[in-house]
Amino acid sequence: MYKVEPLATSPNSHRRMPRLRRAIASLTTALLAVSVANAAWAAETERYVMITHGQNSDPFWSVVKRGADDAAEELGVEVEYRAPSTFDMAKMAQLLDAAVASKPDGLIISLTDADALGKGIKNAVDQQIPVITINSGGDKSKEVGAQLHIGQSEYEAGRGAAERMVESGAKHGLCINQEQGNVGLDARCAGFIKGFDGSASELATSTDPTEIKNSLVAYLNQHSEVDAILALGPLGSEPMLKAMQEAGATQKFQLGTFDLSPDILAAIQSGEMNFAIDQQQYLQGYLPVVFMHQYHIHGLMPAGDVATGPGFVTAENAGQVIELSEQGIR
Amino acid sequence: MTTNANLQQTPEQTTTAADRARGDTPKAADTRTPLIEMQAVDKHFGNVVALSNISLKVYAGEVMCLLGDNGAGKSTLIKTLSGVHAPTHGELLLEGNPANFTSPGQALDAGIATVFQDLAMIPLMSITRNFFMGREPTKGFGPFKYVDWEFADRVAREEMAKIGIDVRDPSQPVGTLSGGERQCVAIARAVYFGAKVLILDEPTSALGVKQASKVLRYIAQARNRGLGVIFITHNVHHAYPIGDAFTLLKRGTSLGSWRKEDITREEVLNMMAGGEEMASLDAELAEFQRTDSASVA
Amino acid sequence: MTDHTISAVPAADDERLRRVHPLKAALKRPEFGAIAGTILVFAFFSVAASGTGMFSLAGILNFLEVSAQLGILAIAASLLMIGGEFDLSLGSMIGFAGILIAIPAVQYGWPLWLAITFAFACAVLIGWINGYLVMRTGLPSFIVTLGFLFILRGLAIGLTRLTTGRTQVSGLQEIADHDWLAPFFSGEVFTGLFSWMAAQGWIATNFAGNPSVTGVPVSIVWWIVLAAAATWLLLYTRFGNWIFACGGDVNAARNVGVPVMKVKILLFIFTAVAATIFACLQVMDTGSADTTRGLLKELEAIIAVVIGGALLTGGYGSAVGAVFGALIFGTVQMGIFYTGVNTDWFKVFLGAMLLIAVLFNNYVRKKALEAK
Repeated sequence: MYKVEPLATSPNSHRRMPRLRRAIASLTTALLAVSVANAAWAAETERYVMITHGQNSDPFWSVVKRGADDAAEELGVEVEYRAPSTFDMAKMAQLLDAAVASKPDGLIISLTDADALGKGIKNAVDQQIPVITINSGGDKSKEVGAQLHIGQSEYEAGRGAAERMVESGAKHGLCINQEQGNVGLDARCAGFIKGFDGSASELATSTDPTEIKNSLVAYLNQHSEVDAILALGPLGSEPMLKAMQEAGATQKFQLGTFDLSPDILAAIQSGEMNFAIDQQQYLQGYLPVVFMHQYHIHGLMPAGDVATGPGFVTAENAGQVIELSEQGIR
Repeated sequence: MTTNANLQQTPEQTTTAADRARGDTPKAADTRTPLIEMQAVDKHFGNVVALSNISLKVYAGEVMCLLGDNGAGKSTLIKTLSGVHAPTHGELLLEGNPANFTSPGQALDAGIATVFQDLAMIPLMSITRNFFMGREPTKGFGPFKYVDWEFADRVAREEMAKIGIDVRDPSQPVGTLSGGERQCVAIARAVYFGAKVLILDEPTSALGVKQASKVLRYIAQARNRGLGVIFITHNVHHAYPIGDAFTLLKRGTSLGSWRKEDITREEVLNMMAGGEEMASLDAELAEFQRTDSASVA
Repeated sequence: MTDHTISAVPAADDERLRRVHPLKAALKRPEFGAIAGTILVFAFFSVAASGTGMFSLAGILNFLEVSAQLGILAIAASLLMIGGEFDLSLGSMIGFAGILIAIPAVQYGWPLWLAITFAFACAVLIGWINGYLVMRTGLPSFIVTLGFLFILRGLAIGLTRLTTGRTQVSGLQEIADHDWLAPFFSGEVFTGLFSWMAAQGWIATNFAGNPSVTGVPVSIVWWIVLAAAATWLLLYTRFGNWIFACGGDVNAARNVGVPVMKVKILLFIFTAVAATIFACLQVMDTGSADTTRGLLKELEAIIAVVIGGALLTGGYGSAVGAVFGALIFGTVQMGIFYTGVNTDWFKVFLGAMLLIAVLFNNYVRKKALEAK
């Protein structure tokens, strides 16, 4: 607070505005007081910021957020969830900079684009803020200075899905990508095509369910060689399922999807869909908060990256998963 | 033209126009009831006095020309007459009865139709649709009520023919008509829907000579049908040939009202240009010069 | 003062009127360019996608369904735009309406018809608020509805997360099966006719070996009915004339006694209701509601209306034009899958085709207006 003194008593500066000077002085004093109080309060409650590229409306990310919220409640810490309203790396970088400036006790971030976010993360690391990356960017995590990555390799997961389909006799795959340009989704499709040894293609669509359904039907009428289809999330898999049901073709195709929703689980249970790949993303929200907390109080952190997936949900274990899904945990 | 003998009694031939102004004091001998009358109307907006002590009368079958320069209060006067503003003081009489309009719709229902200079017509819409805008003739009942466009087209064509405008296709957009024709459509619409008082806001100011004469001819037609017309303009050459009475406005006050026979075109022109004002301006300028030279000295 | 009786019309007038050729009259309609654009698009695909089944019965219904859903929005948007306003909250309203149906039905066990009615009631209220704010504040509808674009999307996300912890509500399929109101928004019509046609061997089989078409999707019926109703409204009712008047010149309309506020508020309500119809169709079709539904639909609807010959400034346009605008949009969108173009180029293709259609449409309309 004494920092204010020279300003307030300096006889030469602002000679003609003593009232304004006094106002500035008292305001600065007040601000300092508040920030001191804030610091004291922050010392009691740990505050972590989680930044992801997932819009709150995405069913997948709502489960991640649920995991983080649950962990925060159990541990008595505070987690702020922030995400851009559209898939926008520039905006995400701004959120990151704002979060670093707020000096949290730890930063949890989905590393969708290491080029766009790397600088901000390094900046955080330089300021002694521990960083854990989740969900995407496992290969770049160490490079940008993060302590740990929690997630699954999108590419490997896509390849795993393809291999499972090939094992069951599929010859030609199709990957429905409802958000081309999203690095994670693109990697899944790339892995999927690799798993089919190149004998697979990618169908780019919009996010509108009717448009996805009808473009899939149009595509399949054109390409009779396709016998296995992979959707990249509930946005794509529900229209896919609908198209198959309407055409009476659920048994003619091997159908797989990423991520879970009650409808997907019901379809797996009834045998209409073969499998779903689950990242068990609840853990991607839950674990980083737990690890951060451990790091904060004991300085402990796992040495190796944590793979939360891929976990395959099939007719055998669907029943158990359904229960959790209804609670928004899977 | 219906002029009243009582109003022609000019007491002295030698007085100036201003002396002869009748203003609002009715002659005891004038037994006609004005179609619309304003009695000592004031209109204030906050502490701005837009109109002060305005009185005027309009008789059926007559054209009352309202003359005034920009800012004379013409548009406030129109808006007061057409129900947009309520007067702060004073009264509005319609056929002798007090009328307090709270909305333009009420004035319209009472037979006071206002035709605005540029807001009368929608260029993209057809002549018929413009003509019947807001008062479309319907057929059928309940949810199956529909607009009888056939009837509407016929009426529009006929009404336009009556005023000498030959409309080949009433479904053509109003935008294809000339400016004068548009004004005529707007006036014809008001007449057709039973207006008793027609308020025309600068109907000729944006028009060329030929177009303007077309509109003026039609105003005369409307008058002959027995409508009372308030013709707002700043063009004496348009106003004088057609007017039966003239009211001059200046900075919110009335300079007076005259019957046509009491005032010549030159006198009107002179007052419009502010003859007396000019004289006082001359004096003022002289005064300035004097004080300037005084301060130099 | 005139009375309303009609004096004798010179016979010459009537004769001259008849000389306006019906074709020439058609050329001047706002939708003419869009119809020409549609023909161009169809001509393009009949070459580029020849022999691919795009113009088989199944293929036609395929792109018609996409066009129909957009068309429902475009028709409402066209009335609003002719009335001189925009509604940017259209897309968010779809997402919100879907949630308003799904949460009461799935979470609280309301009967579906009640949930649907509730969603429509809320749509009316939101449309009214939109319209009232625009009219009362005098702010451009662009700004006011942009606010609601965010508010409604946010409400959809917030309410869904609050009540379900997720952002997607599924499980409506079973509920819909036993509801009397649901068939108005789901499934297909003329299924009997089509199964008879299939039995006659007239309908080709699909990729799965089943009859490719089992009926006409109900959204197409909605599209046609709404288009007919909106056209009737615009051309043959007093209200229709008022819509043109409000969009053409608000002051002129007000001066002749058109109830401008009422007209515009009703148009905003209609847009919100159309968004809710769209939401119902998708919710019934997919069996789930998702907070992201209807993303960017407001822009697509405006594009369809403009392709359909309406002016962005209001006062000019037609519902039929919007129908064809949506048809062009839907056809191009689905057509790419038949042309064999790699779908990576989907958006380039879509944008280029739309631009060509609009340019052509504009060119044809100018030529048509010159030809008078």
